Amino acid sequence: MKLHYVGKSVPRVDGLEKVTGGAIYSVDVVLPGMLYGAVLRSPVAHGRMVRVDVAEAWKVAGVRAVVTGQDFPHTFGNMIKDQPFLALDRVRYVGEPVVAVAAETELAAQEAVGKVRVEYEKLPAVFDPREAVAKSAPLIHEHLEEYFHLPRYEIVPGTNICVIRTYSLGDIEQGLAEADEIFEDEYHAHAVAHTPMEPHAAVAQYFPPAEEFTLWSSTDRPHTMAKELAAALGTSLHKVRFISTYTGGGFGGKATMVAEGMAVALARFTKGRPVKVVLSREEELTASQTRVGAYLQLTTGVKRDGTITARKAEMIWDSGAYASWAPEVAFRGALQIIGPYRVPNLELRSRLVYTNKEISGPYRGFGTTQVTWACEVHTDGIAEKLGIDPLEIRLKNGYVEGDSYINGQILRGVGMMETLQRASRAIGWGEAKPSPGGSKRRGKGIAVTIKPTATPTESYCFIKVSDDGSVAILSSAVEVGCGQKTVLAQMAADTIGVPLASISVPQSDTHVTPYDLGVCSSRITYHMGNAVRMAGMEVRKKILKFAGEILEADPESLNLSEGKIFQKGAQEASLSLKELLAKKIGGRGGPILVAEGHYTPIGSPLLAALPGREGMSSIFWMFATHAAEVEVDTDTGMVKVLRVAAAHDVGKAIHPVMCEQQIEGSVIMGLSNTLFEEFKMENGRILNDTLADYKVASTMDTPEIVSIIVETEHPEAPFGAKGVGEPAAAPTAPAIANAIFDAIGVRFKELPITPEKVLSALRAKTKNGA
Amino acid sequence: MKSAIEFKVNGERRQLEVEPWITLVEVLREILHLTGTKEGCGEGDCGMCIVLVDGRPVNSCLMLAVDVDGREVLTIEGLAEGGRLHPLQESFVERGAVQCGFCTSGMILSAKALLEEDSGAGEEEIKRGLSGVLCRCGSYKKIIEAVQEAGEKMKEKGRR
Repeated sequence: MKLHYVGKSVPRVDGLEKVTGGAIYSVDVVLPGMLYGAVLRSPVAHGRMVRVDVAEAWKVAGVRAVVTGQDFPHTFGNMIKDQPFLALDRVRYVGEPVVAVAAETELAAQEAVGKVRVEYEKLPAVFDPREAVAKSAPLIHEHLEEYFHLPRYEIVPGTNICVIRTYSLGDIEQGLAEADEIFEDEYHAHAVAHTPMEPHAAVAQYFPPAEEFTLWSSTDRPHTMAKELAAALGTSLHKVRFISTYTGGGFGGKATMVAEGMAVALARFTKGRPVKVVLSREEELTASQTRVGAYLQLTTGVKRDGTITARKAEMIWDSGAYASWAPEVAFRGALQIIGPYRVPNLELRSRLVYTNKEISGPYRGFGTTQVTWACEVHTDGIAEKLGIDPLEIRLKNGYVEGDSYINGQILRGVGMMETLQRASRAIGWGEAKPSPGGSKRRGKGIAVTIKPTATPTESYCFIKVSDDGSVAILSSAVEVGCGQKTVLAQMAADTIGVPLASISVPQSDTHVTPYDLGVCSSRITYHMGNAVRMAGMEVRKKILKFAGEILEADPESLNLSEGKIFQKGAQEASLSLKELLAKKIGGRGGPILVAEGHYTPIGSPLLAALPGREGMSSIFWMFATHAAEVEVDTDTGMVKVLRVAAAHDVGKAIHPVMCEQQIEGSVIMGLSNTLFEEFKMENGRILNDTLADYKVASTMDTPEIVSIIVETEHPEAPFGAKGVGEPAAAPTAPAIANAIFDAIGVRFKELPITPEKVLSALRAKTKNGA
Repeated sequence: MKSAIEFKVNGERRQLEVEPWITLVEVLREILHLTGTKEGCGEGDCGMCIVLVDGRPVNSCLMLAVDVDGREVLTIEGLAEGGRLHPLQESFVERGAVQCGFCTSGMILSAKALLEEDSGAGEEEIKRGLSGVLCRCGSYKKIIEAVQEAGEKMKEKGRR
């Protein structure tokens, strides 16, 4: 098959809409009769609701609904069903939705919210997950055992621990006994805000006679959210419809019902009028979702030559007030604490703990950014103490093709070594350090990561060909900005043999486009790509069969390329696809060809593992190395990232520029998380609730970024493509911290690394040294 | 109490009666249905809502609608002329400077103001000129490249 599009950086299919202002996001949706929602949120971190008085709110002109938890007493949660749409009788964090109002204008809704009176009886609160695990800590969910939870999660009723997972391999005691040195450290990866530029927004409409909800939402997981909502309301999927808009950034934060939940609760009471809910930036920062903060203790046994013999890890994850998707972060994301290293003896314990804080959930990497931070700063510390080059220790222990993962899965398509070699070369690893002079010190650091994709998960798609040869891909892989529409169109164009320009990829609609788990876990290019390949091959086969009938030829002797039918070997096309279809249907019209594609990794021999441990296999594995060069100003404590060389094993780049976008974007996000971002809290209240005070990286912070795409072979990948978006963010933080160590000899184990921390560490170092 | 205002948006004359507290972004998005201008914070911190007022970039969430009386506003919808994309729009697509697209109009309009002052703006000037627009997808590198390329096109062809 000649590839016209795959592997080429074609103009993105949503580009024109996005540069002309034509792209519609959830915040842009306006419907006839639409009302506006506003939400009263809890001012206390933990309390019992004694009295809720909404009488004055109803008196505000234009108010059409005032809804309390008692009016809409449903709860939701895919993994642990612990979260009310609106607080029922207890609030568990500052910012929890308590009462929602719908009114003719946003102003009226906000005014009415201000007139609701709620009396709280304050309860003792707990904010640090390390304290929350204690038996004596205030209990945040008194009846944890009564909630529905997925059986894979072990809960600990009577405590704040909502998930506990242990895993062991080999013999930890023996592994530690075999070591020449044992290293113990504790690391903290902090909560950060996803900060999508488009705040959470949704419009919900209820059709009372049929008890049906329709939502316009920018979630990245429409089918999963539809299932979650249907389960919450005790209804069926045909009563719950999610229509997707463009997503103005998600990064994991739009996986769970935030604006959607409020819009649904209100729409239930507005007699069929749609309700729009848009979070303010303050709500976005304080009452949506955060990355799961984590305290990570590592104990590693190492031979003098750097060979790792054993690792113990004790992980405490901060769920915040509800579980959301954090159980899977603590369950699955936690495993990457081992890094991409051969470790024969393991003992891991991971606990997800409720606290009276903003809810946490998936954040680009699903736990991988947090554990990679710990693993890779730790690895550097070990190399330093043993007097081994940080690159060497990684080359020594890193996975190579055919190695066995911790569950016995044989790893295939492992580009880990190549990422290490190419990133280190690009940063000038081992070259003499420049000395800029004065108060400035320079250093280089390196870090690696490994990332599985959620396995097994399903993707379905339909491909439809209209009578003029136009092709539509009906898929629920939402375009969140990573180029989902473009890569699927590229793969379909080359598989079927039609021009890219003849393909459309409409927005998903759960009543129309078939099931897909969601845009997460770097899974779309691979999973939906495989589904598109299958459907595309089916469509191609049908077209060539038609062509065989019309041309009175054996379909096997025909070829379809760029929308034209050729006799094999012929230079001139026999006829165009459009002509063929016109002949076939004689102008009667209609979508004349439809095919279904379905990909599941279930049954793949690649997933084979030790008996009972197959659930930890991943259908593909992604590897990456980031190497950073920084300049630290020892007078001001400012860290400037000069250069990052980032090498990613993506399998095969369907669209190299979009791979670079993921890599560069992750470096920016990683740098921002590492140096600037931090919630300042007081009694559970987030104080920095604006983008002036919660700082994210701007153009001014952009370092030189060298994106390196490493390609490897994967037997089941569509055109060889794996994924790139999620692992991309993980190695940036430790690479920067390791470079800071190289520059000034200070090892940071907590994030973020602010100028204050750098200065005080330098002072402490001078004091101790003197 | 409403005030009458008259101003040009994307070359068209508009007359409106607006409440004195209504901001320009609200007028653009809610009254004139020009939703290509986005709002990301309402506090002037993110730059999503940047439009050009008499050619200067303005956070339209911080400007009252009454203050545009007699002035000219350009939004992303008015940038392509006669169906032909502006060099910035072309370069943003060609150079991969667009991801989720939510910051794109603020970025492009800020860049337009910058390039009209100096179409040869270098990397540092572009970084400074666009520092008021945040992009969480982190497309900064490709955005800077796209703006540089558009500047060259504008210089070559005298396009604006």
